Amino acid sequence: MRFVLNADVKRQSLGVRIFNPKYIMVYATLGVFFVIYLFGAIMYGDRGFTSLRTILLMFSDNAYVGVSAVGMTMVLITGGIDLSVAAVASLTGMFIAYGTTKLGIDPLWCMLFSLAVGTGLGLVMGAAIHYLNVPPFITTLTGMFLARGVCSLISRESISIDNPTIDALAGWKWILTYYKDGQWVKIKPMAYINLSVIVFIAMILIGMYVLQRTRFGRNVYAIGGSEQSAKLMGLPVGRTKIAVYAINGFCSALAGIVYVLYVKSGWNLALSGGELDVISSAVIGGVMLTGGVGYMLGTMFGVMLKATIPSLITFEGSLSSWWGKIATGALLLLFIVIQRAVVTYTDRKKAA
Amino acid sequence: MKRKFDWDSVVRSKIFWAVVAEVVILLVSEILKPDFFRIEYKPETGMLYGVLIDILNRSAEITIIAMGMTLVIALGGTDLSVGALVAVSGAMALKFLRWDVTQYPTPGDYTIMPFYLVILAPLAVCTLMGAFNGLLIAKLGMQPIIATLILMVAGRGIAQITTNGKQFTTMYTPFQVIGQGHLLALPMPIIITAVVVLCVALFTRKTSFGMFVESVGVNPSASRVSGLQSDKIILIAFMITGFLSGISGLIYSSRISSCDSNNAGINNEMNAILAVVIGGTSMSGGKFSLAGTVIGSLIIQTIVTLVYFFGVVSEAIMAFEAMIIAVVIVLQSEPVRKAFASRRRRGAAATGGAVRA
Repeated sequence: MRFVLNADVKRQSLGVRIFNPKYIMVYATLGVFFVIYLFGAIMYGDRGFTSLRTILLMFSDNAYVGVSAVGMTMVLITGGIDLSVAAVASLTGMFIAYGTTKLGIDPLWCMLFSLAVGTGLGLVMGAAIHYLNVPPFITTLTGMFLARGVCSLISRESISIDNPTIDALAGWKWILTYYKDGQWVKIKPMAYINLSVIVFIAMILIGMYVLQRTRFGRNVYAIGGSEQSAKLMGLPVGRTKIAVYAINGFCSALAGIVYVLYVKSGWNLALSGGELDVISSAVIGGVMLTGGVGYMLGTMFGVMLKATIPSLITFEGSLSSWWGKIATGALLLLFIVIQRAVVTYTDRKKAA
Repeated sequence: MKRKFDWDSVVRSKIFWAVVAEVVILLVSEILKPDFFRIEYKPETGMLYGVLIDILNRSAEITIIAMGMTLVIALGGTDLSVGALVAVSGAMALKFLRWDVTQYPTPGDYTIMPFYLVILAPLAVCTLMGAFNGLLIAKLGMQPIIATLILMVAGRGIAQITTNGKQFTTMYTPFQVIGQGHLLALPMPIIITAVVVLCVALFTRKTSFGMFVESVGVNPSASRVSGLQSDKIILIAFMITGFLSGISGLIYSSRISSCDSNNAGINNEMNAILAVVIGGTSMSGGKFSLAGTVIGSLIIQTIVTLVYFFGVVSEAIMAFEAMIIAVVIVLQSEPVRKAFASRRRRGAAATGGAVRA
């Protein structure tokens, strides 16, 4: 038998590429998202559930989860996990709040510092995971404790930020308009794109590019598929793993910045439990914790799907917000069962 | 044949480092705070007082949960839902004590439901929730982290809905005894912990259950092929963890005489997992050490107590915990232990020491 180089194979048609069975989890997420969205549209469409404003608000309200989920998706694809993301984001908030209001440092320097700290912490955790063989769960749990503890050492009280630069960044918005009768008219109800939405979408796009089109991205998938094989193939396993945790640290710090722009304050207990929001968004988006499987676009829909539930509960009005948690749990259960079914099905097909 | 005392294997064992760490932390505490080791008996209350008693008392919740967590981790899994189950257990108990706060507005020395239901119902519900976790993992083959994430997210919601988001308070004396009472001059939580540790130890070491757990943890498929019902073992381990989280929830809510679904058991899952890992049980499954877990839990509580003395705010303790835990974990990590062992061996060879098989 002769081995055929990939380049010899005819490029598949667009239809085959889009309906590739490997995207089935992304489609499942997309499908459930549309079902829930349709339900909301039918029930609360008259109250503006389907308006562009609601959709864009969903993006901007969850931008910090989305930005953090970009890094988390990469970590999960390598077969690891990072529990420190929310604590690092909270720490970023504390740095910016304390730095600008108590120390009078320019917020841009605070942001740069936070990004450096986040990346550095990720680097250290990645190194501990790779060189000391400590399980990612434990390493990043320690990282989370450290970041949360430092948050509380800085201040126990919530510090609200009163700074022109932050106000300008948070307040900047591009109000959507359309052209009619020779002039620009604002969309009704008013819809706008702010910095958080742009950062969210940009990070997803960058993440997609890195995972699908670069050598680094392929290494990430290879390590998740089988670390042993990746090592035997001569791939730079250590470097890639450490880089992934560093990137994730950067993403969590960036998520923290987005969150600061959203709430304009720093609080030591902010986003507690947020790491599980991020992880469950990725899981709902079809990323498998066993590693090797997952797409950035799926994660984005996972974030949006999780965002729809609180939005629906707000529109409902009479339900207590605790139902949101239970609904999220049920959603998680649904997706894991779908994942299991898909895995069992493909395994059986392979065996046959 | 008498087993020879083998210093090498002692140094290489993980529990050794945990004990060393605890002793060092205790000695440092005694130096910094001279009264640290003093225990006094006050006849008027019939109780022992002292920092060490306090450490034992406060570590009760984590130690009890960590007993179950040890089994789960030895199976190669984790249970993230324990903290949420603590909240569910507390909410259920207070619900049964007060039932409806609009109907019984003032907390007092009464209970609406019979007292045995106040204790048994939360434990039963938590055991069922543990069974739910176990079924997802054993029957559907889900990853434990994900399967238990479901209840971790949904559990607090369930706890809130049980009490309609309200914080119930109670003054019912028999219930308060669980967390605030004392027996044999010791606080009740210590007695409960001792009983739980003893029961789990007897159950795992005097029956073959412990060996089965280790076997499934090392290699699930090989265990199944050799005739072990791994499904059943996984299910039982998660049910035990759920049940013990229930006990822990009762102690916590009895301590504060109320239920607090937002804060009850917060970070308990993380602390319990850390206690197990510090105690030398590997996250990848296999051999487990209940004694190590107890020491791990004590280490965490000693650090917390020590840092409190310096007036550090309670939330900031996590930073100190993290640093000490990082040291313990690095000392326990495979490469470091190997380096230690090989240096000792080289040293022994150089001085012409006894050759060990």
